[in-house]
Amino acid sequence: MADIKQVVLERDLNPYHSFFSSFFAGLAELGMINQGSINIVSKRAADYLYSYLEAKEILPDMSAVPGNTPTEVAKNLILYINKILSLVGEYEFKDAEDGQAILLITGNTCRICPKGVGGAEVKGTLCPLPSLVESMVNKIAKQDLLELATSGIEKEGVTCKAYFKVINSQ
Amino acid sequence: MTPSIATQLDIILNDFERNVPHVQATAVVSTDGLVIASRLPAEVEEDRIGAMGAAILSISTRSGGELERGEIVRVLIEGADGYILIRSVGEFAILVALVERDVRLGLLFYEANKCIQLLTEVL
Repeated sequence: MADIKQVVLERDLNPYHSFFSSFFAGLAELGMINQGSINIVSKRAADYLYSYLEAKEILPDMSAVPGNTPTEVAKNLILYINKILSLVGEYEFKDAEDGQAILLITGNTCRICPKGVGGAEVKGTLCPLPSLVESMVNKIAKQDLLELATSGIEKEGVTCKAYFKVINSQ
Repeated sequence: MTPSIATQLDIILNDFERNVPHVQATAVVSTDGLVIASRLPAEVEEDRIGAMGAAILSISTRSGGELERGEIVRVLIEGADGYILIRSVGEFAILVALVERDVRLGLLFYEANKCIQLLTEVL
C-alpha cells in the first residue's frame, strides 16, 4: 500500500473519506464484501443520500439543470453529486459509442477507493462509484437516465472506467 | 461452430440440475461476486446470489485458514427448507446451488464434482 500520509495529502482526504475507505478495506480483507455486494449497498447508500439532500433542501431543481441531451443532464448531475460528496478529484463523463456514456476517473485522485485509499489487499475491484452514480443520477432526475453497462469499474493504467447505457439517447 | 461460453455454461448447469433431482437453482459467479451464468427462478435476485455466494465462500476460506482446517472443499448451508451448496470453480469462479431438503447429498456432491470439472474446462 502507498504511504498513508502521501495518500491523505495528495488526494486531499477528509476524515470521512479515510474512515469509509479503510472500513470497507477491512471488511473486504475479511472476505465479507466484494464488488457484487458493493454494487448492492451502493444503491442503498444512494437512496439514503437522496433523502439526506432532500432533508437539507439542497436537491437541484431539475428544470434548472442545464443539458440538451440525457448525457449532458447526467454530466451536470454527476458534477453536482461530486461537489456535495467530494468523491473524486479528476474525472470526465462523456458520450461513448453505441448510445453509451463513459465515466473516466483518474484513479490516483479518487478519495473513496477501498484499495487505493483504504489499502485493501484483495484481488479484483471494490469500487462503489458506478453503482452509486447510476442510482443517484436516476433518483435526482426522477427518471432513468443511466443504466450501468459494466458490472463495476475497469482499470486501464491509472484510469478507472465505467460504461453506462444512456436511456432515451436515440 | 463452438457455442458461446454463456451457452456452454448454461448447458453444464442444466445437465447438473437434470442429473440431481431437487436442485432448484444454480449460478456461476466470479470471486468478485458478479454473476457469470445462472439458472435461477424469477423470484431470486441474481445480484444478491452472486454477492452473497462469493462472500460466504470467501469468509469460509479465510476461516478455514485461520482455524487451521485446511483448504475448504465445500460450503453446505442447511436450512429448514433446503440447502445452499457453494464450491470453488478454479481460482476465479464459484458454483452456487440451491437444493431442496429431499436431495441425496452423496449424489449432489458427486455430480457437483463433475459439474465443476466441466465448468473449469470452459472457464
